[in-house]
Amino acid sequence: MIRLFHVSKFYGRCSALHDVTFHIDKGEKVILAGPSGAGKTTLLRVIFGAEVPDEGQILVQNRNVARLRGVDIPYLRRTMGFVPQNFQLLPQKTVYDNVVLPLIIQGVKRREARKRVGASLKAVGVEHKQAVRAGALSAGEQQRVCIARAIVNRPVLLLADEPTGNLDEALADEIAALLRTIHAQGTTVLLATHNQRVMAQMQGRVLHLRAGRIVSDSDARAGAA
Amino acid sequence: MMRAWYLVREALTNLRVYRGSVAIGIVTTAFALACFGVFLLLYLNLHNLAGSLQRGIDVVVYLNPDAPEQTVAEVRRRLREEPAAVTVSVVSKAQALREFRDAFPDDALFLGEMGDNPLPVSFVVTVSPGFQTPESVSAFAERVEGFPGVAHVRYHQDWIDTLALVVSYFEFGAVVIGVILAVATVTIVGNTVHLSLQARREEIEILRLIGATGRFIAVPHVIEGAMLGAVGGGLALALLKGAFEFLRFELYASGWFDGLERILTFFPDPVSLLLVLAGMALGCGGSVFSIMGLIKTRQG
Ligand SMILES: Nc1ncnc2c1ncn2[C@@H]1O[C@H](COP(=O)(O)OP(=O)(O)OP(=O)(O)O)[C@@H](O)[C@H]1O
Ligand SMILES: [Mg+2]
Repeated sequence: MIRLFHVSKFYGRCSALHDVTFHIDKGEKVILAGPSGAGKTTLLRVIFGAEVPDEGQILVQNRNVARLRGVDIPYLRRTMGFVPQNFQLLPQKTVYDNVVLPLIIQGVKRREARKRVGASLKAVGVEHKQAVRAGALSAGEQQRVCIARAIVNRPVLLLADEPTGNLDEALADEIAALLRTIHAQGTTVLLATHNQRVMAQMQGRVLHLRAGRIVSDSDARAGAA
Repeated sequence: MMRAWYLVREALTNLRVYRGSVAIGIVTTAFALACFGVFLLLYLNLHNLAGSLQRGIDVVVYLNPDAPEQTVAEVRRRLREEPAAVTVSVVSKAQALREFRDAFPDDALFLGEMGDNPLPVSFVVTVSPGFQTPESVSAFAERVEGFPGVAHVRYHQDWIDTLALVVSYFEFGAVVIGVILAVATVTIVGNTVHLSLQARREEIEILRLIGATGRFIAVPHVIEGAMLGAVGGGLALALLKGAFEFLRFELYASGWFDGLERILTFFPDPVSLLLVLAGMALGCGGSVFSIMGLIKTRQG
């Protein structure tokens, strides 16, 4: 599913990622842990094709992301769901209009789209807020809508960057449970967090990142990559 | 279907949110197109006028006043043989006198006193359409002037030549002014689109995130530019039509140039449509200009 070979990324003199090598198989549930500034967001963005690594190779679903032409990136992204760190919704648009957007982009028929948006919103538990402006939602609700938008096109891979960052413990627990459910339904999940509680709840393989390097991998196979 | 609707709606939203700069964009586009339109109208009417003058070209061949019957017949025969001549009609001495009297009743008395009719026989030759260029008309006239018994040949060559020259200046001017105004319009529309592009930055970032292609992101802005340009073109057309009708009425009311107001024509419908389409094309051009980078970049 995801393979990184000696990936490095520099911002000026600061190296956000340094010689990162690991792989994630289909159906895995991986937690990317590490303190603030460790390079978690950078790593996810590199996988997502939003940043080009300065060194190394990345294969996502057997496609070489670093070599992908700009015009091909959108098609790669359509197979993934991305929940950004600072949840990004269009505050003026309704919850429905926010979540349906990936389907519009892909040219899904209206009736089918309505069904899928309904299902996604139901999965994250905010189906009753469909017609509400996204800007009027609470932080927890917005986070759920972001997740709904990320799963509405049934991605094979879900990347979530600190999805519990701004939430209290109870809400964080709920989001963790939600991600577990999404994983249980067959989606490969890669979750970046520094929240110990969420890490414990997710019960998955943990990749520890510190200052741009992988310092530990709870999965023994890591060395073989 | 849903996608098309989304793209149009986005364009309309952009137009609404930035109505201030959109209005400025429309007005400037309209102004630029109207300037060009005025020029085009002048050109069109001058061209028409030149055409109608040229179509009505009659070459009048005056014989020597004392030319005998035989010479008159000979010149008539040779004129008939000319491929440039469609019809050749004779104006006899008596007819010429009658016409002169009709045209200048005051002087007729004086002419009548002279006893012998001093007016020459003349031929009015209508030039065939194939020979109605200034060059062939003057070549024809020169040839006829060489016929024995011919005193001189008259036609409106100076007029036509001048007009043709003016028309060709206008053609050149239209191209130059057109290019300048087109560049201005593209820049103005490009600016307007650039503004809404800036304002849509966050949305564009999100769209990238969920797999939108550069083209998908760009289309609403192209629609926006096209709408802006088309409305500008329509407005320009309305302005021109208004000004044109006003001018024609004033001309009619003033009584100058009797009949000129009937010769004046506005653009035929296809040209009017073309003006609106030109506005639209310029609008598209402007927006494409400002979103070019967007389509290519990797992540926006
Ligand atoms: N666009 C950028 N320009 C310059 N430096 C950057 C940029 N993005 C990230 N960095 C640097 O790279 C390092 C890793 O950043 P990154 O955002 O990946 O950390 P993170 O693990 O996600 O942190 P957090 O938990 O706070 O979100 C940081 O030192 C950061 O300052
Ligand atoms: Mg981060």
